Amino acid sequence: MALGLRNVGEDERNGDGNPILDADDGEELMHVQPGVSVALGNRAADSSSGTLFISTKRVVWLSDVDRSKGYGVDFVSVSLHAVSRDPEAYSSPCIYCQIDRGDNADEESDGSDSECDGDLDLSKVSEMRLIPSDPNQLDNLFNIFCECAALNPEPGEEAEEENGWIFGDEQMNEATEGEDASEWCFSEDLANPIGHANGGHDLAHSVLELQINDQRFEDAEEMGHEGHDAHQ
Amino acid sequence: MLFFSYFKELVGKEVTVELKNDLAIRGILHSVDQYLNIKLENTRVVDQDKYPHMEIRLFPWKVQKPELSVRNCFIRGSVVRYVQLPPDGVDIDILHDATRREARGG
Repeated sequence: MALGLRNVGEDERNGDGNPILDADDGEELMHVQPGVSVALGNRAADSSSGTLFISTKRVVWLSDVDRSKGYGVDFVSVSLHAVSRDPEAYSSPCIYCQIDRGDNADEESDGSDSECDGDLDLSKVSEMRLIPSDPNQLDNLFNIFCECAALNPEPGEEAEEENGWIFGDEQMNEATEGEDASEWCFSEDLANPIGHANGGHDLAHSVLELQINDQRFEDAEEMGHEGHDAHQ
Repeated sequence: MLFFSYFKELVGKEVTVELKNDLAIRGILHSVDQYLNIKLENTRVVDQDKYPHMEIRLFPWKVQKPELSVRNCFIRGSVVRYVQLPPDGVDIDILHDATRREARGG
């Protein structure tokens, strides 16, 4: 799952001229939009028209003329996308994408203008505009982009949910620094579960419950405390 | 899930989303999903002077012209650094309470 924009060459097209999808990875084609040109960075739009393919994993633009020419970017690398209809922003209505270049982000490409005469280093491209010949397609394209982007959360995003525990621990530390009275409650509670627990697992479980209990007490304390402060 | 629920409450309000690349975009919160992907409407870049590397014409939402079509923007949750909330959109007591409940329930 490479970051940033990359080339999609001839060997990545199938017989119909469509990009070869990674079916093993569950990639499915969601939308095909003919008559789209592409502009990378702040270069002018590519003169050759092409076709836009939106899959469940990525966005691919393939030139209609030159089979070796094409670009692709995974949705996980698309930081944001937007509809641009303001002629002052760009001459043609387009879908604007900002691309996360990963490690290359350090090398600020202020000089992307100067790359116009040379070959463009795709790994440094941070912006892409997709210009459909029919501007009425913009909203539809935007919505498909949204739908597919939502299908591609950060890898390992599930771990986020477990952060709740870190959060809980932080609160507990905060809590134990608090009132003497609640500390006392804490110690007393602590004695019972440990006395009853034999296995490490049970112990962990009890401690878990304990933290929860402690927090509940502490909350009540704190709430009263805050209220008190507010009155002063 | 707390912040997901919380942000849902802010739909329709104006927020400023600051990205990890220092770009800040203000707009009306249109929707938010469980990954905290954020959709904004009527977007514009905040404080251009702070982002000199951003060229005017690079950013569609730079010039705000309400008479033009609404500009929609989808921001990937993972690139968001901060979301600045409208002051009237924050009930601190409720948020306090909710974070505590979340921590307990976690």
